[in-house]
Formats: sequence, C-alpha cells, structure tokens
Amino acid sequence: MILYILTILLLLLIAPLLTGLIKSIKMFLFYKRPVSIFQPYANLNKLLTKELVISHESSAITHLAPWMILSPLLVTLLFLPPIFQGAYYIGFVDAFTIIGLLSLSTFFLMLLGLDGGNAFGGMGSSREAFIASLVEPAMVLTIFSMGLIAKNLGVGNAALNLSTHFPVEHAASFLFAGLSFFILLLAENGRLPIDNPETHLELTMVHEAMILDISGLYLAIIEMASSLKFVIFSSLFVTLFIPYGLNLIAPLALLVFVGKLILVSMVVALIEVNGAKLRLFKVPNLLGIAIVFAFLSLITFYLLGV
Amino acid sequence: MLIFDNLSLIFIGLILLGVIPNLFYMAGYLPHIQRKSYFLIHYFAFIFSMLGVVVANNTILFLFFWELMSLTSWKLILTDEKQKGVSKIARFYFFMTHFGFIFILMLFLILSNGNLESSNFALLKENASHFIYPFLLFAFVILGFLSKAGVVPMHVWLPYAHPKAPSPVSALMSGVMLKVALYGMIRFLFDVLYPWPLEWGITILILGAISSLVGVLYALSEHDIKALLANHSIENIGIILIGFGMGMIFDTLGLKTLSSFAFIAALFHIFNHMSFKSLLFMGAGSILHQTHTKNMEHYGGLIKSMPITAWTFLIASMSISALPPSNGFLSEWMIFQSLLNSSAVTIMELKLAIPFALFALALTGGLAIACFVKAYGITFLGLHRSENAQHAKEVNPLMQTGMVLMTLVVLSLMLFTPWFIGYFDLVVQDFNHTSVYDIIFSHGIWQIHSVSSNGGVVSPLILLGLLLFITTMLYGIGRIFKSKIRYHHSWACGYQTNASTQYSATGFAGPIRRFFAWLYGHDEKLKTITLSNKNKTTYDESFFEVHVEPLFESTLYKSVIKVTRLISYYIYRFSYFEQHQHYSGIIFSLLLFVLFSYRIFMGEFSWLSFIIELVMMSIVTKVLILGDKK
Repeated sequence: MILYILTILLLLLIAPLLTGLIKSIKMFLFYKRPVSIFQPYANLNKLLTKELVISHESSAITHLAPWMILSPLLVTLLFLPPIFQGAYYIGFVDAFTIIGLLSLSTFFLMLLGLDGGNAFGGMGSSREAFIASLVEPAMVLTIFSMGLIAKNLGVGNAALNLSTHFPVEHAASFLFAGLSFFILLLAENGRLPIDNPETHLELTMVHEAMILDISGLYLAIIEMASSLKFVIFSSLFVTLFIPYGLNLIAPLALLVFVGKLILVSMVVALIEVNGAKLRLFKVPNLLGIAIVFAFLSLITFYLLGV
Repeated sequence: MLIFDNLSLIFIGLILLGVIPNLFYMAGYLPHIQRKSYFLIHYFAFIFSMLGVVVANNTILFLFFWELMSLTSWKLILTDEKQKGVSKIARFYFFMTHFGFIFILMLFLILSNGNLESSNFALLKENASHFIYPFLLFAFVILGFLSKAGVVPMHVWLPYAHPKAPSPVSALMSGVMLKVALYGMIRFLFDVLYPWPLEWGITILILGAISSLVGVLYALSEHDIKALLANHSIENIGIILIGFGMGMIFDTLGLKTLSSFAFIAALFHIFNHMSFKSLLFMGAGSILHQTHTKNMEHYGGLIKSMPITAWTFLIASMSISALPPSNGFLSEWMIFQSLLNSSAVTIMELKLAIPFALFALALTGGLAIACFVKAYGITFLGLHRSENAQHAKEVNPLMQTGMVLMTLVVLSLMLFTPWFIGYFDLVVQDFNHTSVYDIIFSHGIWQIHSVSSNGGVVSPLILLGLLLFITTMLYGIGRIFKSKIRYHHSWACGYQTNASTQYSATGFAGPIRRFFAWLYGHDEKLKTITLSNKNKTTYDESFFEVHVEPLFESTLYKSVIKVTRLISYYIYRFSYFEQHQHYSGIIFSLLLFVLFSYRIFMGEFSWLSFIIELVMMSIVTKVLILGDKK
C-alpha cells in the first residue's frame, strides 16, 4: 500500500520531467543549447506565484474547468497497472473507464476554450473536438484487441497477464495494437504530427489555442494536466506493450519502468525532430492508419484462433 | 384486456418518470401558449394514450391507443399554428406516422386471423407460430414500430416534427414517445415472434449502427438547438438498437447470459435517454422561451443570466456524451461490453463483422462529445451573440422545478443503478431468459461486472466519490496559494473583443462537416456586398452561409417522389391516347407480351431468355407506346 502511494507520487513528480526531457532532447538535436530538463518545474513554480488574470467575458466555467481537467487524470493515475509484481493496484477498473475519464478531462478543456469568448479558444476547441472524435474509435478498437490478447479488459490484470504469460502466438496482433496505440499516444497528447506543442501560430495551434487566455494558477494546473496525460499514456504503453521487467525485484523493476518511460520520451522527441506537422485535414489519414491497425489486430487475433 | 407484467410496469415507470417533472415544466410554460384549452386537452390525452399503449393486451385496444397517440401528438405539433411552415411539417408527420400505422395494422390483421376484438398477445403468438413467412412479420414490426422510433432510413420526419411542438411536448415526444414505439417492438419480438432467426438480430444491429452514426453527424451540422436534440434522439435510438440487436444475436446462438446482459443494457439506455433527453429539451425550451429564437448563433453567454438552466443542461450534456460517472456512461459501457462479448460468438464471419458496429458506436461517442461541446459552448459560454440573448433572464420557478426534478431523475439513475438493473433483470426473466443480476453485482452493489469471464468492471459510485474527493482536495490545495485575481478583457489580437469575434456554431463544426462532406452534401455560399460593385473597400459586408441537405432526404424520399411523378405522367399519357399512331404500337407490344408469357407458362422458363424478353418488352413499350416525354 505504501509502495502504491509512492508509485503514484513518483508518476506525479516524473510528469514534468518527461516534458522537459523531450524538449531538451529536441533542442540538442537541433544543435541548440538544451534547456535544463528540470525547466518545467521552474515554470510551474513561477506560474503558481503569479497573479490570475481572468477574462471579463468568461463565466464560472473558467473557475471550474481547470480542476475538472486535472482531477479525472489524477483519478486515472490511481488505476494504472502496477509497475512490479506483487505491488498493490486497483484491478477492478477497465480500460473503458479510463478512456471515459480522459474524455471527461478533454470535455472540460474544450469548454474552457469556448468560455473566454475569443476566436482562438473556439478554434482550438473545434480542432480538438475534430481530432478527439476520430481518436475515440481507434482507441476503443485497440483496447478491445488488447483485452482479447491479454485475456482481461482491466488494464492492471492485463499488464500482469502479459508479463507472466506472453501470448507468442498472437505476436502479430500485439504488434498491430502497439503501433495503433503509439499513434494514439501522439494524437491525444498533441505531439508533433498532429499538433505542435511549442508554436503559438494560429494556423497550427490546437492545444495551446484553447488555453491562450489562461494564466497563473490555472495555467499551472493545465500544464500539469497535459504532462500528466503524457505520463498516463506512456506508462500504459510501456506496461501493456513492452511488458518486460515486471517480475524483477522492486527497486530494479522501478528503474526499468522509468527507463522505459524515458525511452518513449526519446522516441517521441525523435519523431518530432524528423517530421513536420500534418495539415489539419491530413490528420484523419494518420488516425485512419491507427484505426486500420486496430482492425488488423482484431482480425489477425480472430483468424489465428484463441 | 390489460396486461401488467414486468415489461409493462417498467414502461409505466418510464412514462411516469418522464411525465411528472414535465407537468411542472408545462405549468410554467403554459402562459406562453395561446390556445390553452386546446393544448391541455391534447397534452393529457397524449399522456393517457401512451400509458394505454403500454398496458393494452388486446389488439383493438392497442391500435386505438396507438392511433390516439399519433393523432394527439400531431395536434400538439399544430398548437402554435401561426409558426412558419408548421402545417407542412405536421402534414409530413401525419403521413409518416400513418405509414407506420398501416404496417402495424397489417401485422395485427395477419396475426389475429381477423378476430381483432378478442385476441391478446398469447393468441397472436399462437397464430404467429403457424404463419409461414415469419420474416414478413418481422419486416412489418420494423417498418411499423421503428418508423415511429425514428430509425434510419425512416427518420427524416423526426428532426422536423419534434422541434415544432411546444418544448414540454418536444421533451415528451423525444423522451417518452419514441420509447413507447420501442416498447411495441420489444413486446412483439419477445412475446409474439420468439424465437428469432439469426438474420433478425443482425438486421437490428445494422439499423442501430447506421442510425447512431447518421443521427450524430446530422446533429453536428444543425444550428437549430431543438433540431440538434431531435437528431440526437435518432442517435440514441440507434445505440439502444445496437444493444438490443446484440441481445438477439446472442439469444439465437444460445449464449443466454450474454443476451440477458445486452437486453438489460438496452433497457437501461432507454431509461437514461428518457431522462437526459427530456432534460435537454426542457433546457432548450427555457432558452427558446427567453430568447425567442431557436438559432444557436443568436445565443451565447446565457450561463450568466440563466444559471439553473445552464447547470442542469451541463449535467445532461455530460450524461448524453457518455462521460463517467454519469448514467449515460454506464449504459453505454454496458452496450460496449455486450459488443466486446462477441468474442464468444462461434461464427467467424459474424465475429469479424461485429467490430464494425463497435467502431460505429465508438465514433458516435466521440462525435457526441464534439456535438455537445458545441451545443453547450455556443449556447451558454462566451459573449451574448444577439440582442435577444442579452435580455434573457432565468425562467419562472415552475419551469425551474421541472428541470431540477428531471436532473434528480438523471442523478438517481446514476446513483441507484443496481436497483434499476434489478427491475430490468425481472423483465428478462419474464421472457425465459437467465437472470444475470447476481453476476453483474457479484462483488456487491459497488461494482458493475460484465458477464463474460474476462470482461470489464466499472464502479460508478467509487468513481463519483473519487472525482468529488480529488476535486475538492485540489481546490483546497489551490486556495493555499491565495492567487490575486485581476479581471481583464480577452485578448483579440489587439482588436476589441466582441460578440462577432467569437467562434460560431458553423465554424465549430467546420472541420467535421468538411471531413464528412460526402454525407452532408452541403453547399457553402460566400456573398460579398461591396459599395461600388467592383472595388473592395473597408465598408464591404460579407455573408457566409452553409446549407446542409440531408442525404437520405434528397436521395431516398425525393427520388420516390420523382419516380411516382414519372409513372403517373406515363399513365396519364397512356390512358388519354394523345397520338393515334400508337394504336398499332399497342397491338404489337400486346402480341409480343402474349408470345413471351405463353413461353413462360408453358414451362420453358430460363432467366436469360426472361431478361432478354423483358428488355425487349420495355424497349418496345418505350419507343412505340410512350414516346418522348413532353
């Protein structure tokens, strides 16, 4: 139980670090002098002490939404799979609930975008709604296929099943599901082929456009939420799709887990360096690939038999 | 005469839950209506007739109440007869509801063997088991009941008819009447036409998947808030049918527990849709009452002036978007689980096909979230987009009571899920299905389990508790920082923030509309008015207009009208013999006809020669008799 709480605290603390890591890797590869990987902590600290500027046009939603964006993600954090065997975890929550909680967070983020009454917020919300609605089917199909391969729909039990008896005969569908989930990881976190997290140009903004009017404490909460979302997705990815290292002894397993998270961040950074942002109406093509991979994963699973 | 089994009783419960908050709301809405006695008579007769339909156990009684329900709702649409275009839409509704009625009548006439007065459902079942074309009966059930429930492609009337009625009636029509139509289908399928072949379940599943997608896509492109909600009814009926179809498929394949689970999911979604859709229509009615416009582009910023409407609408929006831990999420979760249980199906083709229904349902869920962000954000958030929205005030206490009561119904469906599921379980037990209550709540009432061994678990109350706890804790931590608050205008690139710089509903749905352009068939018009007709000046005005023509309406319905006109034109030409030289042509083609049919009746039939002769006949008829169209 103590370990469980410590794990959650670790994930909370590591979240800004990963964001900083991606940023500094990117800067390094661009031959810039990289910022410290601890820069996001400094940013959060700065934002917490700053004053809040609230728009005249906004309503009570602006005061509610930041909390409602963060709290579903924190709840999701409680339900993540264990990072080593024998650790306490909440096993009864299935993947659909997690998808639902993430949608709840996005729902309030989109409302927040529309609340300020400026065009940027609406634009961001509109684009986010477009992308999120296409992400949903791919996500559900991937989760379904994953649940079949791991013989359990609950993410905790699925991760344990995969690490103890990896179904070698379903490696093909496992691979397809993993590819699909990685595309979704990029899409849901607003990483580069879908959305550029660093730009403030109205042609390319999605996530940043929604929170353009937010400042101070609320901005800190939302920044924290977006890095938490990355941690949730990447830790789901590493426990479900790189299911090795759970059976090691506790400190080693923890190290392996953190190492895997850093690996995912590095891959994301490499993709960001080597690719350009897709036009908004090209995004469905990428998500379509994710959907096709998810279908392929299901079909190969069924055709190869149980 | 009357039937009070569990199915009837839960539908009575459904109607009462829908009607009681509605009565308060209607009482508050009444001053807005001009023809009060006309309205009241039809309103109460409408409620009475719906209650009658769900308890009738006699064909003539059922038909009487069904027809009464159609006619009173038709009259209720006509309450405000001076509304623009209302008579045309009422006529369309009248036609469509009787289109369905004809099939129900035929169904009863076939099944009751002409003995309409004294036949009950048991007798109908007896006759149905002797009838040699059961698929015909099934088709009649689909055409009769589902055209009333607004299933694609028989849905075209629904987004027109429901918004035209006064708002309390729209809430009843979308929330309750559609469910009464589903009751008819469920009663017939369970009580009369059982057991089902596999195709029936698949048909229902396909209809449901298509309806859910089409409904939500057209809802997204709507600006009329009530038409948006009406389109969402089509979507939700589709979701219910997906659950029901899965239940039928499992039942045919002998997977009894899975089928009970799917039926319970469908029944639960029926209740949930009643609750949140009634609440949404009430909210929309309150806004309409205050702003006197249905166009969402003229709303904006209403959360400041209408807080109760806004917050109840938010709860309903979260519920219809299936966000946890709302009741809408729970039933959609159950329907998702039923689809996932399809891995137990042994027929490979079916197993591979069902993920497409899963895909449709998931896409529907995603688009529904987008749609309700649009509906909520454009209506309640931002700045007032028009003069009307500026003067809106909160509605009167009676209407508020109605909305708050309906919110309580929504919340109670979330909080007392086990209790409701217990009743649904009794219903499926009535029809010789396995009870699954003990499996669903095998670990106590805190967790809802899927019935398959490796299925998922959800626990609404724990989720709700955690969300509330963490949010308040966060808020408490946030208070420590004691941030100073400064108020300032939103940034608008150095220009002044005003209502016209906000995103509009059309703009919000823009990307999705563009992506699904093939379905919408929309035409966009950009009109610029310049002062000098040629050169651009700073005083130009531009208008952007998007008009969406629903695909089904333009193809299915209008083409039927076109074909009917063409046929009647040629019948006219044929019967009036306008040109004399055609006599010889007629005689020639008659000779051909006799020759060809002689061959067929002599038994020398082959498809190839039949097709060749058919082509010849039609060419001869077209060239010699009909001639060119004039």
